[in-house]
Amino acid sequence: MTPTAPAVRCDGVVQIYKTREVEVVALRDIDLVVEDGESVALLGPSGAGKTTLLWLLAGLLRPSAGRLWLGGAEVGRLGPRALDRLRAAQIGVVLQNPARNLVPYASAAQNVAFAQRAVRRRSRQRTDDLLERVGLAPLRDRPAGLLSGGEQQRLAVAVALANRPRLLLADEPTSQLDAGSAAAVVELIKEMGPTSVVVTHDPGVGEAMSRTVTIRDGRIGAEGRDGEDFVVIGREGAVQLPPEYHGLLPPGSMARVEPVRDGVILRRAEP
Amino acid sequence: MMLRGLWRRRWLSLALLVVAAVTVASASLGPLYAQAARTAVLRNALDGVPPDQRGWRVTSVHDDAADLARAVSAPYLRPPVLGAELLSPDPRGDRTYPLMWQDGQCGHVTLIKGRCPRSAMEIMVTRASGFRIGDGVKLTSIRTRVGTEDRLVPLRVVGVYRADPGDDFWFGRNLFTQTAGVSEGNGDPLLTVPETRALSGLPPGQRASDAASGSAWTGYAIVYTDPAALTGADLDGLEAVHARLAAMGRSGDVVTVFTRMADTLDAVRRQIGSLSVPVTLVTLQLVALGWLLLFLTVRDLAAARAPETALARLRGLGTARMWAFGLSEPVALLVAALPIGLAAGWAVAARMAAEFLRGDVPVTLDGPSLLYGPAAAAGGLLAAAAAARGAVTRPVVEQWRRTPRARRRTWIPEAVVIAVAAVGLVELLAGGPLSGSPGGGAGALLAPGLLAVAFALLARRLLPLACAALFRLTRSRGGIAPFLAVRQIARGGATGSTVIVLGAGLGLAVFAVAAWSVTSRNFDEVARVHNGAETVYVVRATDAAALRRMSDGIPDSAPVVRLPGPPAMLATDPARFAAVALWRPSYAGGHALEDLVPRLAAPVAPRVPLTGERIRVRVLGGELPAGWTAVLYASVRVPGQALLSEIPLARPRPGRATYEWGLPRACRTGGCELRGLRVETTPAGTVDYEHQPGDLLVTGLDVRHGDRWTPVDAGLGDRARWRPGVAGGPGLVLSMSLWGGPSAAVPATFPDPLPALANGTPGNRKLPGLDDAHGVGYAATVSAAAVPGLDAPGGLVDLELADRAAYGYSEKAEFQIWAAPGRAAPVLRGLRAAGVPVLATRTVDGLRTGFAGQGPGLALILLVVAAGAAALLALGRAVLALYVAARRRTLELAALEAAGARTGPLRRALLIEQAVTLTWASLAGVLAGVLAARVALPRMPEFTEPPSTPALVYTIIPGPVVLVGAAALVACLVAAAVTAELLLRGVRVDRLREAPA
Repeated sequence: MTPTAPAVRCDGVVQIYKTREVEVVALRDIDLVVEDGESVALLGPSGAGKTTLLWLLAGLLRPSAGRLWLGGAEVGRLGPRALDRLRAAQIGVVLQNPARNLVPYASAAQNVAFAQRAVRRRSRQRTDDLLERVGLAPLRDRPAGLLSGGEQQRLAVAVALANRPRLLLADEPTSQLDAGSAAAVVELIKEMGPTSVVVTHDPGVGEAMSRTVTIRDGRIGAEGRDGEDFVVIGREGAVQLPPEYHGLLPPGSMARVEPVRDGVILRRAEP
Repeated sequence: MMLRGLWRRRWLSLALLVVAAVTVASASLGPLYAQAARTAVLRNALDGVPPDQRGWRVTSVHDDAADLARAVSAPYLRPPVLGAELLSPDPRGDRTYPLMWQDGQCGHVTLIKGRCPRSAMEIMVTRASGFRIGDGVKLTSIRTRVGTEDRLVPLRVVGVYRADPGDDFWFGRNLFTQTAGVSEGNGDPLLTVPETRALSGLPPGQRASDAASGSAWTGYAIVYTDPAALTGADLDGLEAVHARLAAMGRSGDVVTVFTRMADTLDAVRRQIGSLSVPVTLVTLQLVALGWLLLFLTVRDLAAARAPETALARLRGLGTARMWAFGLSEPVALLVAALPIGLAAGWAVAARMAAEFLRGDVPVTLDGPSLLYGPAAAAGGLLAAAAAARGAVTRPVVEQWRRTPRARRRTWIPEAVVIAVAAVGLVELLAGGPLSGSPGGGAGALLAPGLLAVAFALLARRLLPLACAALFRLTRSRGGIAPFLAVRQIARGGATGSTVIVLGAGLGLAVFAVAAWSVTSRNFDEVARVHNGAETVYVVRATDAAALRRMSDGIPDSAPVVRLPGPPAMLATDPARFAAVALWRPSYAGGHALEDLVPRLAAPVAPRVPLTGERIRVRVLGGELPAGWTAVLYASVRVPGQALLSEIPLARPRPGRATYEWGLPRACRTGGCELRGLRVETTPAGTVDYEHQPGDLLVTGLDVRHGDRWTPVDAGLGDRARWRPGVAGGPGLVLSMSLWGGPSAAVPATFPDPLPALANGTPGNRKLPGLDDAHGVGYAATVSAAAVPGLDAPGGLVDLELADRAAYGYSEKAEFQIWAAPGRAAPVLRGLRAAGVPVLATRTVDGLRTGFAGQGPGLALILLVVAAGAAALLALGRAVLALYVAARRRTLELAALEAAGARTGPLRRALLIEQAVTLTWASLAGVLAGVLAARVALPRMPEFTEPPSTPALVYTIIPGPVVLVGAAALVACLVAAAVTAELLLRGVRVDRLREAPA
């Protein structure tokens, strides 16, 4: 990652899943920039494409169309090895369901060390620091499968941060946690994560992040900054109305566009 | 961490460890067993042969025989036994005595009187020599010079001994079977000490050939192999030793090497040659099956580790590290399996060696076996890599999303395997280059492996199709159990590997069992026919009458004289033979042997015995034209001679009618027989051929015994008693004319051809006859598929007739007494009571064991043991695979249960699914094994030297095959029921709350 480039830059990213019979467009025309140090929450209903976007940001997928830069490196131009190296050194990922992030029979410390294996920067000190930070130092030798859900999630964060990544990606990090544990994990991500992108359904998590991006039907529909939500004007001028306004302008209805000095006003056209 | 992973997947890890260990064990078992079998073959060959076939006698006049013997020293050669010998006549020239010493001789004789010689000029003698203790024995070669004169020095007798001629110590020398004064004037050995030699050394310049004249000592060294110290690996060295000694013997007359070791080594080479190829093929097939099992088990392990593998990719591990991570557990298990497998292979090989070879055969881990084990493990590593490839290289997202990948073209390798099997099968049936290659039909051993895999692959493809065809039927009837079961099977994934593994493993096992049962039956039948009777005692060569007398005194025995062929000949007393021989009515169209043997008899004229000192002939018509001479010969069979004595009875001259001639000395005590009269006419160079001599009429024969002439009843006037029928009227008419009638006639004391019980078509072939010198025509008055005692095409004839037809007895003729089934012991007692030494005992069991100990038999044992183990392993693997596959569906089962499906139908569904799969695989395996047996067995070597009779039978014995198939099926079904039950007990609705990993 070049220091001056944003941590993430999506330019018209499209992602299509191909199966034997059908093709599914998971993401379309995603334009997104995440600056260094930002913490972004990806919001949206199930199936909207949040996780797919996260996998793209993790370098696990290549965009079907459009361009994606991670710290200045264009993903589409990177070979498999370079992508592996990028993921190992620059990106930390916390998957949905804490158990999936961990090798259940390995101890907490071994799980962290396992993540360090890819970059040959094994550091017992770093492992101990991380476990200390996530409050698992007393449990460092306990197999991960025997930890509670909250402990596992904290350990997952520690594992994701094992290589000092510049980008931390987390998918529903609080989904199976009680409120207290969830808050602790969010705090941990904010505190320890450099630049973080978190997929969540939890509004609380979104509020904790510096910015929210709402994805609907594979498009970025809205962004929230400083407690205020904005719709995003997409390519070709498309706008996704937030669901709460569907009563006024139901999907399928016709509207008149009235230009004003700093924008336009949409008014329902009477049939 | 890896160890924790192995422990977490302990059952799968254990399965992989077992499979890998068995693969390594299979790979090392073959070489280990082959090594042990080679040793056993070598030791068996050396144990069961006379001394000259397992040692050398190096004799030299000029060189020191001890030095020559030591030149070939090897750990498996016993220290040479040294000795020296001087053949010397007594002063009167009546007898020639071997004066000799041999290291350790006193330990190998029984002293009857006196003591062993201790100092020069002392000797010990046999009782038969007639010498007494204290006697002085003079030999012409034992002299001392007194002044200018050589004087004989007497040897002093200090002991009387008896020696066992069968003692190996004497190297089979024919020293003691003769009795002084009876046989060719040779006396028994006079045993002395080495110091005696100093008195009569070899003068300078004298050569070995002088030794025969009794003027030189001949030093010798007997070198024996030590079978207990020999292993199969020493064969090359042993051949080199033999070659070196043989070369010494060919170097001239300085050194003579007496041995028949070459025969032994040839036999061993043939046996070992027939062992190597089958063992290699069997081993390769088993290792290949092991690799297949490894591949499938590692694939299961890789599937079990898939979440961790995905995690490793997520963390950015590079390709090399991913491979290292993916293969770490399989490699660790393979490494652990290597010593375990080698140890198991060694243990099984040692057990097999003790069980099937002989108790004293060492099994050691040597180079090849240590090489094969790691090679199998390396092959297993490749199989593991192939199995883990999917998990290691599959994109993480695909792993998480469980997206189906494009269908792989797995049919391509399968089609290749099936095509190779088909080509191999056609080649085998057509007898192409593979089966016609050197090494016999050992290539046929590839058939079971190829066919088993091909059938298994086909069965795997057919099973889902067959189940798909049942969809409609199960939709409307039968309830949910068959509905679920056939759909699950039709998905194919869960059942494919099971059908392949179990089908292939069981196919090999069925083939092995079929091959073993068929081959055992052939061993039994061949042993039964070749031995002829349950027990055969070989007795010392004598004559037909003595042998018959021997047998007559012992109930349940039969006298048999055997001449090797082809055509081989058995001569026996037919009635006694019928009572003891191992006969099957099926040999001759359902006839009992008792009903057939009368056909071996024929009307014959009485013999014409000649007992006396002289023979006289009376003739008429002895007038010859000028220039012609004629001689009348009598052909006389003399006891102890293999050839006829031709006695010039008469040189007919005008006016003389009586002539006489001396008979051979042996005729004085009886046993001589007139076997023919012939007249030989010789014209001088200037004779008038227009005037040929007339006929010579032989009117009478007399023999003189003492002072009295006695007429011989030769039936000269009886046309029926002579052949051709020139007898009649006043006498026998022999033509002296060159163009006249027959000039010779023989007494018609035997039929020509001899009536025989033949195991083939005689054609123009002749039996060797008891003398093995004058072929005897034979006619098959009874044809049989097999004749007890005949191991080659030939015929069984009446001993009396054969004896009448023969002129003597060949050295090749083996005199036997056959014992009826279950009567071996009484017959042996009878022989002992009659003072008949038994030289050898042959039994059907012994012969059968011998066949099983030959190369092909030993390889078959390996096939049976290893294929059985492989089948068990395949069975275990199949059940495990079904269990693992079904376990992956526990969520589905839990969902069905949650949806209201009762446990009973679910249990039945699982059971039906597993039962159908296992039964299908078992049927495929049995079918493949049976087909492979039908195709391969007739082309597979069963004997080192295929017997020419009886015809080998290759029809499959259904019992063992059905037993194996049924046992496998029952085991499968029980295992399936147990696994289904275990699985269903683990299905709980609350599992639905757990997200799939």
